[in-house]
Amino acid sequence: MKEYRFRIIIILAAIALSIYLLYPTFLDYQNSKHIQSVVEQKKQEILKQNPQISKSDLEELLTIVEDSIKQSDPSIVENRLKRLKLGLDLQGGMRVVLEVNTAKLLEKLANNPDQVFNSTLAEAKKEAETSEESVVEILARKLQQKGIRLSRYFGNIRQDDAEIIAQLKKDSEDAVTRAMEIIRNRVDQYGVSEPSIQRQGSRRIIVELPGIAKEEEAKQLLQGTALLEFRLVKDPDFTYQIMERIDKALAKVLAAGNDSLLAELSDTTKKADTTAAADTTQKQLTEEEFKQQHPFFSVALLDPQGRSADAFVKEDDRNKILRWLSLPEVKKEIPDNVEFVFSAKPVSTTQDGKKVYFMYLVNRQPELTGGVVTNAVATLDPNSSAPIVNMEMNSEGAVEWARITGANIGKRIAIMLDGKVFSAPVVRGKIPGGRSQIEGMENLDEAKLLEIVLKAGALPAPVDVIEERIVGPSLGEDSVQGGLNSALFGYLAVAIFMIIYYRQSGSIAAGVLILTILFILSVLAGFKATLTLPGIAGIVLTIGMAVDANVLIFERMREELATGKTLKASIDSGFSKAMSAIIDSNITTFFTGIILYQFGTGPVQGFALTLMIGIASTLFSALVISRLIFDYLASKGAKISIG
Amino acid sequence: MRVFHNLNVNWMGMRKAFYILSLVLFLLGMLNIVFRGLVFGIDFKGGSEIVLQFEKPVDVAKIRNDLANIGLGAVEVRTFGAETGVLVRTELQEIPKEIYPKVVERIRENIDKIMPAVPYQIVDSTINSITVEFTNPDTTNTMIAELFAQGFQTGKVSEEPDNKQMLVRVGIADWIKEVLREKVKDNPFQVVKEDRVGPKIGEELKRDAVLAVLLSLVVILIYLGFRFKFIFAIGAVTALFHDVLITVGLYAVLYGLIPGLNLEIDLPVVAAFLTLVGYSINDTVIVFDRIRENMKIHKTMPLEELINKSINQTMSRTIITGFTTLLAVFVLFILGGDVLRAFSFTLLFGIIIGTYSSIFVASALVLDYAQRTKKKVQFS
Repeated sequence: MKEYRFRIIIILAAIALSIYLLYPTFLDYQNSKHIQSVVEQKKQEILKQNPQISKSDLEELLTIVEDSIKQSDPSIVENRLKRLKLGLDLQGGMRVVLEVNTAKLLEKLANNPDQVFNSTLAEAKKEAETSEESVVEILARKLQQKGIRLSRYFGNIRQDDAEIIAQLKKDSEDAVTRAMEIIRNRVDQYGVSEPSIQRQGSRRIIVELPGIAKEEEAKQLLQGTALLEFRLVKDPDFTYQIMERIDKALAKVLAAGNDSLLAELSDTTKKADTTAAADTTQKQLTEEEFKQQHPFFSVALLDPQGRSADAFVKEDDRNKILRWLSLPEVKKEIPDNVEFVFSAKPVSTTQDGKKVYFMYLVNRQPELTGGVVTNAVATLDPNSSAPIVNMEMNSEGAVEWARITGANIGKRIAIMLDGKVFSAPVVRGKIPGGRSQIEGMENLDEAKLLEIVLKAGALPAPVDVIEERIVGPSLGEDSVQGGLNSALFGYLAVAIFMIIYYRQSGSIAAGVLILTILFILSVLAGFKATLTLPGIAGIVLTIGMAVDANVLIFERMREELATGKTLKASIDSGFSKAMSAIIDSNITTFFTGIILYQFGTGPVQGFALTLMIGIASTLFSALVISRLIFDYLASKGAKISIG
Repeated sequence: MRVFHNLNVNWMGMRKAFYILSLVLFLLGMLNIVFRGLVFGIDFKGGSEIVLQFEKPVDVAKIRNDLANIGLGAVEVRTFGAETGVLVRTELQEIPKEIYPKVVERIRENIDKIMPAVPYQIVDSTINSITVEFTNPDTTNTMIAELFAQGFQTGKVSEEPDNKQMLVRVGIADWIKEVLREKVKDNPFQVVKEDRVGPKIGEELKRDAVLAVLLSLVVILIYLGFRFKFIFAIGAVTALFHDVLITVGLYAVLYGLIPGLNLEIDLPVVAAFLTLVGYSINDTVIVFDRIRENMKIHKTMPLEELINKSINQTMSRTIITGFTTLLAVFVLFILGGDVLRAFSFTLLFGIIIGTYSSIFVASALVLDYAQRTKKKVQFS
């Protein structure tokens, strides 16, 4: 026993690690089953109470239910993050490859473009469609061929062509970075779970949105441009009045027994109960009453000193508030020309780690929009050393800005990007010259981000969709089912064959094969790799190939036994003589795996990764685990049949 | 239970016959590739493919009819999965020039229907989209929402509040969906899969795929050159070329011959080819490994006899490793679904050819080389 101790420890450690790595996946599976059943139940309830409910309203309600379950137990989200991820082809979703339209960008950048320029650009664009060269290079070459200096259209007369080309390349590079930033903002805002936004090559952006249901919306989302707005924030008195009216209206709706509202409210109550478990019963009751009488103020908390009417709203309450605000009874209490908006960043976090956002009441009509911003620079404020972003405006914008700031001294102006407030500073005086700054960023990185976004808003470089793949969730489920079935039956077929052909030795191989599969899955989960349909194919292929090593060893053992050696000696020489063939053949397959990984995109990479992991686990299983079992059985004097 | 036990076959004596067999298979494939060409899937060729899931069973012939006259040329329509699923595919990536005015006309009609007599003009029309300008921003917003609800892919040109321009995307898939929505009114559908690949990506992928296969062959050549004598590496890699070329060739031969099996070359199929390269070398290595071992034991045995002996000794494991892998891949072929069918078929096919070649091509080439140069082949 002693001689095996080291190996046993290694094997047990490997198995334990695998189970540890796969456990979140198991839990996540259980959780989603649970959530699904609760949501389904809720759906039936809602349908029974309100058969006329529209599909989108129903979906929205169910999302709220789902969210509240998730928020009530943080471990659900935790497990989800650690689970074995499924690729787009297995869970449905959308993959879009966008390319920044450099030609349009050049068109914008050009000074005084004429007929020659336009036609040359058109030619360059056409050529770039199938060429490796970038539009900038092709255009430069074409212009040079025509004997036109680039400075005729770009930069200034003193710059030579190479310098201008470098500058243009940098500009188009920046355009990609900015486009990526816009898209990331938008995707975040849309609330897709686990999105992936990657840059590929010089001007491509790959966006992967798993589990997207409404592809049209997503496509719209990706191709818009960032919108910067300056809007007046309403006075606290005015805001407070509106809020009170909303609160009353909501309470009335509640008293009338609006079911969906009741359901939402009871969610909040439940949560409050658990957090306030230590409180006295007395207090809980009043809290409950408060919730019923002032539903709005129970989620939109105001500064008790009444200094401002910026309401504090917890992360998970934002959707709820938006839904309440869209109720017709509430809607009519809000004037048409104003709306509630949230801050882009959380202002604080509660003790239990929930993010809290500000909610502002602002004018619907912006005073000024980002079209006037010509430049933005992130820097540190020399006085307070806080990160800020300085903006410059064009002359038209500067005049407007001076007028607006002059007329609104002492008031607050919200600086909004894509409908969210970045900061809402108080106007201290008239700002001439079109310069202004945004503050309220946490650090310089964040300010830099805002800088990019602001520039992007002012400079839309259009993006074209050059590749687009959408897989519906139902097709994804079918694929998972097909994949799992083939893995299971593939395993059974191979295992049964091995047992019939090699008897006991074959059953050892079949048993160890299960561990091989366990290792593959756990390594995938541990690497945070994504399991795709070709990945499953890779596992099935590994099942077929994994026993190859065993076959080599067993055949060798048969040969050795035939020469009259004892079982123990045959095991030794069987393993050692098969070794070189096993290593050689697996290393070459591993090499092709590496190349496949380098060459492949998305799903093919998944396949290559699984294949490589499969080879490693196969070798471990065959050379270490099977070996140990054989050695142990032989030392016990057991006879192992080998067919 | 044992198969191919204690074989004593003179494989090398038969090698001329197998050379001819390989040559015939190779020529058959190559001629097919030259005259019929390889059929690439949309991954490599570019194009559009959409899978629609109807609520009720749908008549594919009718859909084919509906789509035949919308001017997209040869549109392929077939069932996908159950009888409610339809796959529509076209090689086109863009709306053809002749159709373009029709699409624009359709958009005009819809605009007129939504708001009769509203003034507008088409300010820009590219191959993928047209831009329509209205006189005021509100009209634009309403129009975007309304047209969007009708199934058009609309969006604002800019998010500025004074934006008066609307962008309407006119991709092939959009056009197909739109036509079907109108023609098959009583049977609503959902898009369960939509792939659209531009020609540029296709070109790049094609080049990368060929490079990847060649690169892996070179890497294997180098590795085996180190592990065995160089001549063995050459033999093995030639056998791999043989496998890949014959598989590609027969792939082309079989295209269209087996009903229900879509044998286009797409990304997973290329992955299958690379896997094949990696896999088929395995059997070759097993045989070579045994030759190397036997050379040390039987120092004076003539090479031909030695190779025969080695092949005979390793025959059972060559067959069984191939067989177990085939088993798993066969299950994948049957149960893996439409998407993996061509992939698993390639492997099925390739494994058989790869096993064959490791015996009749790789070792035979080494022998022929040795006999021609009259050199004594040695292992390091």
